Amino acid sequence: MITIIDLEKYYATEEVRTIALNKLSFKVREGEFVAIMGPSGCGKSTLLNILGLLDDPDGGSFIFNDIEVAGFNERKRAELRKHNIGFVFQSFNLIDELTVFENVELPLIYTGVKAAERKERVDAVLEKMGIMHRRKHFPQQLSGGQQQRVAVARAVVNNPKLILADEPTGNLDSSNGNEVMDLLTELNEAGTTIIMVTHSEHDAKYSHRIIRMLDGQKVTENILADYKSSVAP
Amino acid sequence: MFRNYIKIAWRNISKNKGFSAINVISLAIGLSASFVIGLMVYYDFTFDKFHKDGDLIYRVTTVYNSPEGEDYNYGVSVPLIAEVKQKLTGIQQSTAFFTAEPSKVMNAGFSKAFNNPERVIYADPDFFGFLNYEWLAGNAISAIDAPNKVVLTENRAKKYFPNKSYNEILGETLVYDDSVAVAVTGIVANFKDRTDFTFEEIISLDTGKQSYMQDQITDDNWNSTSSSTQLFVKLNDKNARSKVQRQLDVFAKSNESENAVKYNEHRHFYLQALSELHFGGNYGVFDFTDYNANKTVLTSLIWIAAFLLILGCINFINLNTAQATQRAKEIGIRKTLGSSKKQLIFQFLWETFLLTLFAAFLSILLAAGLIKVFADFLPEGLHFGLFADPFIIGFGMLLLVIIAVLAGFYPAMVLSSFKPVSVLKNRIFITNSHLSLRKGLIVFQFIIAQVFIISTVAVGKQIHFLMEKDMGFKTEAITYIRTPWMDQSLQKREVFIQKLKAIPQIENISLGGSPPASFNTHATEVVYLNGKTEVRTDLELLYGDEAYLNLYDIELLAGRKLRNDTIHEYVINDACRKVLGFESPAEAIGKTLGQGKDAVPIVGVMEDFNQRSLKTQIQPMAFVGDWSRKRYSQFNTIHMQLNQQGSKNWPETIAKAETAWQTVYPESDFKMEFIDQTIAKFYQTESSMTKLLNWATGLSVLISCLGLLGLVIYTTERRVKEIGIRKVLGASLAQLNLLLCKDFIVLVLVAFIVAAPIAYYGLHNWLQDYAYKTRLNWWIFAASGFGIVALALIIMSVKTLSTASKIPVKSLRTE
Repeated sequence: MITIIDLEKYYATEEVRTIALNKLSFKVREGEFVAIMGPSGCGKSTLLNILGLLDDPDGGSFIFNDIEVAGFNERKRAELRKHNIGFVFQSFNLIDELTVFENVELPLIYTGVKAAERKERVDAVLEKMGIMHRRKHFPQQLSGGQQQRVAVARAVVNNPKLILADEPTGNLDSSNGNEVMDLLTELNEAGTTIIMVTHSEHDAKYSHRIIRMLDGQKVTENILADYKSSVAP
Repeated sequence: MFRNYIKIAWRNISKNKGFSAINVISLAIGLSASFVIGLMVYYDFTFDKFHKDGDLIYRVTTVYNSPEGEDYNYGVSVPLIAEVKQKLTGIQQSTAFFTAEPSKVMNAGFSKAFNNPERVIYADPDFFGFLNYEWLAGNAISAIDAPNKVVLTENRAKKYFPNKSYNEILGETLVYDDSVAVAVTGIVANFKDRTDFTFEEIISLDTGKQSYMQDQITDDNWNSTSSSTQLFVKLNDKNARSKVQRQLDVFAKSNESENAVKYNEHRHFYLQALSELHFGGNYGVFDFTDYNANKTVLTSLIWIAAFLLILGCINFINLNTAQATQRAKEIGIRKTLGSSKKQLIFQFLWETFLLTLFAAFLSILLAAGLIKVFADFLPEGLHFGLFADPFIIGFGMLLLVIIAVLAGFYPAMVLSSFKPVSVLKNRIFITNSHLSLRKGLIVFQFIIAQVFIISTVAVGKQIHFLMEKDMGFKTEAITYIRTPWMDQSLQKREVFIQKLKAIPQIENISLGGSPPASFNTHATEVVYLNGKTEVRTDLELLYGDEAYLNLYDIELLAGRKLRNDTIHEYVINDACRKVLGFESPAEAIGKTLGQGKDAVPIVGVMEDFNQRSLKTQIQPMAFVGDWSRKRYSQFNTIHMQLNQQGSKNWPETIAKAETAWQTVYPESDFKMEFIDQTIAKFYQTESSMTKLLNWATGLSVLISCLGLLGLVIYTTERRVKEIGIRKVLGASLAQLNLLLCKDFIVLVLVAFIVAAPIAYYGLHNWLQDYAYKTRLNWWIFAASGFGIVALALIIMSVKTLSTASKIPVKSLRTE
């Protein structure tokens, strides 16, 4: 599903050029659950932004669903993004001025789904996430766990092929965190590809494969034992 | 999607109530001014649009070119009418009429005469073929085809004959000025749409030959022109204009007088299009039209509206770009979820439009108020109901869209161009370019406000100067009454004077012409031969008896007063003495102006005084007696000096004078005027302008200060932590206040530096219209600049002081 080859990204100020990604290469197949780990500043988030088509690499190749997308302009990236990718953030990133229902509805609006169908789909996903009773509330009125469930609901409402999660449990206590991880696992089992950036070894264990990074490069890649049989190297 | 936008717009608006209020109020002020001014423009541009072939209708007017400059008259000389009717080709129709002012109208059935019926004309038989009236009784063909016929409008018919049907009114006889009897032969509906053709009584032209107008109507002199002589033509087609103009040029040329040729004074007949009629311009509309639309005034008004709107938009742009960071997260999320930049721009524009719509509703209420404030400035027919006009509604909607785009586009561009990656990581930096744009806009706002302030102070000073300046004659407690001009009886005037003399509060009485300063002028041309050269000058004439100069406290510089009321002698003013070339007043005494039987000796020189508004210089003038008394007495006005100490008794005095008037002139209306009020009327335009300027200034300052306040609130709140730290380190309240206000005060000062020369230039030009002008002192600028800086400081301090006086620990803890 995703192939990156020699991916490069720099951040330049007037004096210093920082390399965020240094000729990074790997593949992610459809249906995989991949965790990306590494210390702060190793380039995880940069990678996730590029994978999420929020940012453009400075070099190398990024093939998404057999299409070379490196060098796509903002408009093309947005088009591809809204149909294929869902996001879950550490800080939830819900819009404060919109209710739970309206937040989840947003991606459907941008992909041009009709109002009646939107209602049906949003209600279905809220039901599935167990937050139907909160649909008219605003984000500030919810607990962290509930907010993240809304965020996950929003990420999946469009049935994306890929979900990118940036430390999804970072702001949650362990029980809420586990709930979210269970949700992601369920989604993965239903066929959605998941790439997750995390600091937590505990969370990483939910994945099939862990890519460890340092200074913009892949250092190790271990396939978790439980899944070795199902995922060929 | 749309509902989503409305929802989020509404929630954002209500979340930031303060900023939204500033935005809405600023825009509402601009919009209400635009609505009222738009209404005025629309009103004035929709006069006489309903006439058949209106674009082919022209009025013939007269333009004089002489070495002294151009002069205009909206009438023509009477012989031109026959010439046009008989010889002019290229026109399908023409009509001539004379505007008239009969002093009363009577009918056998009336209990009392109607005094001064207004809007009366004597029109030729072509009149009703030229303008299409709706006939309620009678018909266009025969209504005024012979002497002693009159057509009334329905308004006038109902006024004169309230209980009769239109057909019953036909055949009734009206008598004008006790001498001209006419039969009502038709009744027409008043024009429903806006028009300057507001005639109410149309009398057949042949009737006029029996009236007091006879001299004028039958005048065969090509060189006398009265503004009451009106000539309209209807061209065959648009292209005929130049052909018709050429023929008119020939008529003018072939009828030039010898004198005109000698003094290089040329007369042209000019075709004035119907669409120009309402904007009197160099001309005027008709003798009785009191409201003249003025394109220059309308243009200035449009500028004021535009400025106020721009100020409102600037507040919007500034506050919204300043607040951008608060919206950044939402933008980032929306973009991540697939919103395109276009969709975001549209969303923000929509939000702006919604705010603009609020502002519009508010502004309609404000506009109703503004219309009341400017009631005396606006034409009578302009009222709030015009807002329902579809054209105005359309214009309003268009304006709203324009405003929304103007105010919303830049903030929308800024907001929508945020990169989602940086936003979501809280890495947004407000770049310097946005900051300097905001600063630039604030400077621009304050330039406008500052120019308005300086102008208000300077114009106020000039008007105060005009009002207070000594006219050169006494103006306190002097009143005058004009006797009915149709009644030439000197005996009656004398009787009236005797009755007035019996009133103890009246200290002094004089019989004469107009007061020393008035709207009337009588002038003649005189020639003085000093042996070598011939001095030719216009000489204004001031008529009065022996008490006149005393009453007005006008002193003689040399010579003596007139020996009696009818003797042919001049008491010239000092300005005239200088024009004639006499070194000293004494030198003028005994010299003669004119030759032969027209020779008149100068017996005295009086001091100079202003005869009109101080826009004009003192003109050469002579004080004279009632020379033409046998034919027409110029002594028609009674001037009175009231007791200056007893001003509280004046109402009683005036009442007594009115009682006396009733016994002498029972049929005429009593109207007593105070000379100082007459002088104040010279400056009506100026006082309307001051009022307008005060409002424009107030509103522009208000909008600018609101915007400043908004920005100060915003920046101060962002610096709460810094303030806390500085306080902990020992900064005083004053130091903190200075810190917070410094940046903005610099902007206001920059605005002053730019505004001062602009204002100076504009005011300097404006003052050129006045012969007497106040100085543009440095303190006008200094005070205006200081005023706005002080105001800005006070407004900012409201917020900065309250923030700075907070307990620092609190603000630091919340971080």
